[in-house]
Amino acid sequence: MAIKPASGPTPLGASTSATSPSPSTHTLSFPAQTFAKLAPIPFLHAHLTSSTGARRPSGRTPSESRPPNIHTGSLTHTSGSAVVRIGDTAVVCGIRGEILLTKDVADWKHPEISSIPQEENDGTRRKRRKTEADEIARLNLLVPNVELSTGCSPAHLPGSPPSDLAQTLSHRVLTLLHTSQLLEAAELRIWHHPSSSSSSSILKPQITEPLSTSSNPNNPTITTVEGFEGGGTGDTDGALVAKPQIKAYWTLHITLLFLSLDGNPFDAAWCALLAALLDVRLPRAWWDADLENVLCSPLVSESTRFSLNGLPVPLTVGVFSREDEQGIGGETEKKRAKWCLVDMDGFEEGCVRETVCLVVKGEGDSAEIVRIEKGGGGLFGRGEMRELVGAAGRRWREWKALLDGIRGDGSGDTDMG
Amino acid sequence: MASSTLSPLSRADGSAQYSFNGYSVLCAVNGPMEAQRRDELPEEAVVDVAIIPATGIAGVTSKHLESIVQKALRQIVLVAAHARSLIQITLQIIATPESDHQPARLHQSFSSIAVLPALLQASILALLSTSIPLCMFTNLTSVAVGANGDVALDPSVEEVDAATSLHVIGFSSQGDLLIAESEGSFNIATWEQVSDIAGTVCWGDLTRDNGLQVSKFWKHELNCESTLRTKISQWYSKSTG
Repeated sequence: MAIKPASGPTPLGASTSATSPSPSTHTLSFPAQTFAKLAPIPFLHAHLTSSTGARRPSGRTPSESRPPNIHTGSLTHTSGSAVVRIGDTAVVCGIRGEILLTKDVADWKHPEISSIPQEENDGTRRKRRKTEADEIARLNLLVPNVELSTGCSPAHLPGSPPSDLAQTLSHRVLTLLHTSQLLEAAELRIWHHPSSSSSSSILKPQITEPLSTSSNPNNPTITTVEGFEGGGTGDTDGALVAKPQIKAYWTLHITLLFLSLDGNPFDAAWCALLAALLDVRLPRAWWDADLENVLCSPLVSESTRFSLNGLPVPLTVGVFSREDEQGIGGETEKKRAKWCLVDMDGFEEGCVRETVCLVVKGEGDSAEIVRIEKGGGGLFGRGEMRELVGAAGRRWREWKALLDGIRGDGSGDTDMG
Repeated sequence: MASSTLSPLSRADGSAQYSFNGYSVLCAVNGPMEAQRRDELPEEAVVDVAIIPATGIAGVTSKHLESIVQKALRQIVLVAAHARSLIQITLQIIATPESDHQPARLHQSFSSIAVLPALLQASILALLSTSIPLCMFTNLTSVAVGANGDVALDPSVEEVDAATSLHVIGFSSQGDLLIAESEGSFNIATWEQVSDIAGTVCWGDLTRDNGLQVSKFWKHELNCESTLRTKISQWYSKSTG
């Protein structure tokens, strides 16, 4: 047990936790927490240069992330919800599906939808995903909102207007939803199949009557097609109501509420969103021509879940260096010692200027990367990026195991009833 | 083809306009001046960035861009030289390539990172025009990678639309990777190739000899450096002549 005194949050003498400050600390001893408050950067540096190996004040190694924890379906009034906890950062995500009628959309044009071929090659799939992502973005079907002013940390007081951090997070979540093409527009469309409506049965009672008696109420799409075919061949009037139409869309209102914030807000928020999306059940919805409105089925067995386009998982890393000061006249020595701190907590975020965020959809060297965001300094170079892809892949596997469990055990239809 | 003007505004401490690849940005710098008591930092200057979009009012997109630009400029400005003061940078986006024909396209497929090179280049020129000491220089470039791996430097709107990934990469004059923003779908090999190209474009053959034809990619015929050279030679000839 070579645990050095530096690990663990217990108040320890600064003389033992720090290796290099002034020799006088042996006589002037004060709690580690005081040291951390007074001189955060030297405090972190002392931990990382400890003689027993680099450890962070939390006791983690630089490349060790905090184990995540997911709980889904705790909010009953939402279509899907999740609580994600990473260390002391806890986020609740609630997703609610609301219906957007196309008649309420200004200059809405019915999209050209070609039927998806059985074997879709890479090129056409990419093109279809892109046009569907554009459709989602244009209609603003995904509305994420990040709420930090819940008193989640001393820096975010309750009742204050959205801080810069909250706005930036909202924007990053929204753009990642769009650019990663996580959802398909096809799953958000609500269709109207004209000939299944009662109005057409008035027009053509002799055709729809036998069909409606024999039809299975749970399976109206089949009667639709048959009724339409009969009308189309028998009479020219049927051609007027030929094509199925999109009458409405599901709009997903995604609320991300930070219960507590101790660093790494983006990773926690995004994974809460992923978990909640996996938890979402949308009821089967159809357009009723008589009521001129969308009706939803109360049957849980008819509700649908989203098939997500991969699992994009983020990993945020901070690059810490003691010599943060800028060299005058560009004379910075190249060999500044630096540490990449994975999944920083709140204290570490206060000491670090340079951050890198990588979002991957798999592991290994050929893993698909969905986003890279790097800023705040020049210590992290081109060469380190490949290492980070490896670390992000390991994190991806960790999250995937947890996220796969959401549908694995929670498949029971009784949850919603 | 880039074009830039130094000090177009007479009432700001320093200003610059930079236009490139359809984007045009006007930047005004005020400072160093007194910071508000609650904002001031004891050991360095506060760099405050405000971005005003070409149309509409500043929203979350502007806030996100502001945070990227602020993080970069904090590295570039010698903040320790002006402790407890404020350097205020206001960026007005004057033109975007979308604004001509498709006003609503801004939020589609890719977010607004393509405007970053113009924003940073304009603010560095304006900082120089204010005579605020800087500790480095930076050049940025945007690269779009198409479905079959074709690379487009400083892509047009059509090229961005057709691309599978979009990258904005900036290197400092010391050769450090200062900014990297990438979106879309790609892998690490693509990114490394893109960052090599970006390094070559930003600072000539600074990174390494990777067999790239520099002239093939060299579209920054008038980058920051050449603007400054012209301006300095003009001033010099004025003062001596």
